[in-house]
Amino acid sequence: MGMPEEKADLLKGTLDMLILKVAALGPIHGYAISQRMQQISKDFFQVQQGSLYPALHRLEERGWLAAEWKETDTGREAKFYTLTRKGRKQLDTEMLNWERLSDAIALILRTAE
Amino acid sequence: MRWLGRLFQKEKSEKQLDAELRFHLDQQIKDYIAAGMNPEEARRRAKLAFGGLEPIKEDCREARRANFLETLLQDMRHGMRMLRNNPGFTAAAAVTLALGIGANTAIFSIVNAAILRPLPYKDSSRIVMVNSHTAMFPTFSLGISWPDVQQIRSQASSLEQTAAYTGADKTLTGKGDPALLEVTNVSDGFFEELGANSQLGRFFTEQDYVLGQNHVVIISNALWHNRFGADPLILGKTLVLDKENYTVVGVAAREFTFPEKCEAWLPLALAPEVANTHTYFALSFLGKLRNGQKIEKLKNELDTIAKRTMKDVPELSAGYSFSAEPLLENRIEGTKRAYFMLLGAAALVLLIACANLASLLLARGSGRQREMAVRAALGASRGRLLRQGLVESCLLALLGGGAGIFLAAEGVQLFRAIAPANTPRLAEMSVDSTLLWFSLVTSLVAGVLFGLVPARRASRMDPNEALKTGSGMNLGAARSARQSRLGDALVAVEVALAFVLIVGSALMTQTVSRLLHQNPGFRTDHLLTFDLPQPVIWNTEEAAREIKKQTERFKNIVEQVQRVPGVAAVTASDHGVLIGMQMMEANLRVDGAIPSTSKVERTASARYIFPLYFRTLGISMLRGREFTERDSGDAPTVAIVNESMAREYWGTLDVVGKRISVSNDKAGKPLWDEIVGVVADAREVTIRGRAFPAYFLPSLQGGTGSIHLLVRTQTDPDSLAGAITRQIWASYPEQPVTHISTMARRISESVGDERLRSILLVVFAGIGFALALVGVYGVISYSVARRVQEIGIRMALGASREGVLRMVLRQGLLPVIAGVVFGAMAAVGLTRVVASQFYGVQPTDPATFIGAALLVLLVACLACGIPARRATRVDPLVALRYE
Repeated sequence: MGMPEEKADLLKGTLDMLILKVAALGPIHGYAISQRMQQISKDFFQVQQGSLYPALHRLEERGWLAAEWKETDTGREAKFYTLTRKGRKQLDTEMLNWERLSDAIALILRTAE
Repeated sequence: MRWLGRLFQKEKSEKQLDAELRFHLDQQIKDYIAAGMNPEEARRRAKLAFGGLEPIKEDCREARRANFLETLLQDMRHGMRMLRNNPGFTAAAAVTLALGIGANTAIFSIVNAAILRPLPYKDSSRIVMVNSHTAMFPTFSLGISWPDVQQIRSQASSLEQTAAYTGADKTLTGKGDPALLEVTNVSDGFFEELGANSQLGRFFTEQDYVLGQNHVVIISNALWHNRFGADPLILGKTLVLDKENYTVVGVAAREFTFPEKCEAWLPLALAPEVANTHTYFALSFLGKLRNGQKIEKLKNELDTIAKRTMKDVPELSAGYSFSAEPLLENRIEGTKRAYFMLLGAAALVLLIACANLASLLLARGSGRQREMAVRAALGASRGRLLRQGLVESCLLALLGGGAGIFLAAEGVQLFRAIAPANTPRLAEMSVDSTLLWFSLVTSLVAGVLFGLVPARRASRMDPNEALKTGSGMNLGAARSARQSRLGDALVAVEVALAFVLIVGSALMTQTVSRLLHQNPGFRTDHLLTFDLPQPVIWNTEEAAREIKKQTERFKNIVEQVQRVPGVAAVTASDHGVLIGMQMMEANLRVDGAIPSTSKVERTASARYIFPLYFRTLGISMLRGREFTERDSGDAPTVAIVNESMAREYWGTLDVVGKRISVSNDKAGKPLWDEIVGVVADAREVTIRGRAFPAYFLPSLQGGTGSIHLLVRTQTDPDSLAGAITRQIWASYPEQPVTHISTMARRISESVGDERLRSILLVVFAGIGFALALVGVYGVISYSVARRVQEIGIRMALGASREGVLRMVLRQGLLPVIAGVVFGAMAAVGLTRVVASQFYGVQPTDPATFIGAALLVLLVACLACGIPARRATRVDPLVALRYE
């Protein structure tokens, strides 16, 4: 993948969370998710399709995302993903964990200065 | 069920996946073009950014494939491969399960059919049998007299239906060789109460029970098929039974027989003198309790009826009472305990099988920790490993369970083939479908349980730890010690259970051998026996005349048989020898008897015999003489007593000249028979137990009914059977000749139940012992394999081969010895419970216990010896390099 090695581990656990977060904003198709993540992170995350789609399918399989085929503005059929209630709960847990983790890391970094 | 739907929509989901990814690609291209790229360049850039379409698709599929069915199939394929790769383990485990489940399903099926399943009659659980009891024969259940049947019918309000019947074998003539049919005379309500259906014709009507119009018969489906070729025009035809004509009015449905093996039913129409006799205890009584009514209520009602009857009928002595028991209880009486013993034995085999399987999987689970560790390190999730272990042991369980069901079906067939023909409900025995499901579920549960423990252990382990230890054999010392302790405990349990089975089967085998070699007190070789059945005569006037004629006929038959070449001596008795039947006279009086020494009222059995009875059987006369031709007709009436009777009643053997009486003259005064001889005791009733006090009266002075011929032969008795039968039929073509057998065979058949039990117990003990040995062998082999390095080091440091051998043997035999000790303790407790099943051998017979212990230890030594020798061949250099 196009990303430096040291980012890989970080991403592995966080990609799911980011996808859920983006999908929480409303029905959205895969391409839009990748665009949105890239925009919001100011190009920090170059989400590769090779990771994105398997992740989407995995999250759907687990019942965190629901999918349906709908027409886009251009009239073409696309697969739209929405966050389910189960997915919402999962997202909350992961975000909580993430906040604790980043707080702790920030605390250590600050204190150790 | 999402995965199920998707399985069928595979094509659709493939299309959707493709569409989804293409949409992405097209959007990207569109965006690039919108940003000002030319289409060609945009397409190239987009494809580059996207990467290969196929790998992404595969990853997506993989991501979805966390679904149950597909991984299950994968796990199953893997499991099959693992089982195929370890044929030794697979075979041992599958055979263990198959034997455990097979033995249990078979025995459960048999027990279920024999004693648990309701009898095949309408509302059979509510049908009860009523018997009467008198103070004279307190230990016997007597039948019910017709007056009592009427009383109970009218007064027992807890019964909704009632019927009486009595069996009377009758000779069928005019249709091939004369044959004896099992015939039952049944009262009104009989077929209705049992819920019988008919194949053809009708059941009896009120008219049929009128004396004189009662010559109608209903035949069983089996008789209709076997004797009449299922003739559809049988109704209205005539059957000759005991020389009287009966019109066939019905054929019973195939499934109906009552009593078991009954071939024809006649309407019960009693002569008035019999019908009014309160002491004519010849009828069996069937009542059906009202729905929800308890049998206790009936018992109370019966008590009241008995008390009233006693008051009204002076000839019934005090202590007259009725008893009631469910029909099923009555049918299986006496066999229950034996079946529970077999059930227990089968359960022990199942326990051994379980212990064996556990120890096999334990050993294997430890051996496979390295494999599991590698898979875990390669990313297999804990759940996946767990499930894979489970799938594997479930496959094993199904394999074993399937084989077990096959074994069970064969086992039930085998049982039916070797069980004595008179075993109750034999025909109903088959593997039933409920039990099939039960054993399938059992084997799956076994698979889950035994798969769970090792799989959990493997999935919990830290892959780093396991991989670092290298060979996977030297896992942490503490864990391996714990495992070998568990293995040892399992071996001890297996050996203990097997020991119990071995002791039980040895005791049963000795019982059979004791019974077979029991000296009955007469010569049993070269002795041919058969019955010459005679019609039963109800009317007493007619009986006196008929008996005279019969006696003449028998005298004639005895003379005829005497002339057959190869016959040494011929005699006869009124009932069979060693058939378990005992005749009692209600009016035995003994002249000059000493007071009884015991509280129990003393009784003696009666037998009417022909001249030369004792000489033919080889029973020695201790005093006086045997009956002769002259002890007949109007000569003074005489009797012979056996040794036990002489000692019991007079306290001496010198009783020739003393008198006994069994009947009265018309004025009510006893008719005395003078004792002319005393014979040695012999077991003529049953081979079990001691000889009973007995007296003998000459048939020629008033024997009754059928006779039982005893022929001493010079050559093989079987070879003479045909010639003797032909000789009898030459003079009396309508005389049936039945139950032809040799005395040796009759004795052997009389221990049929015990033999069957001993065969089954030996089979169970064999299976149990074999399984336990597999367990011993498995645990020792495993431990030797695990300790190869340690043994190598010991030998490198100078340990001798003998030392290593001793060490391994000691380690292997310690749990065996512990097992034998616990097994012996358990056997002492258990065999005492079933002591009544044994004969002529103490349930705690020391020789049996010591023998069994030696056998177990010796064979266990061999089972340990093979892996132990392997250990001594360990080359220290190879062992240390072993990795």
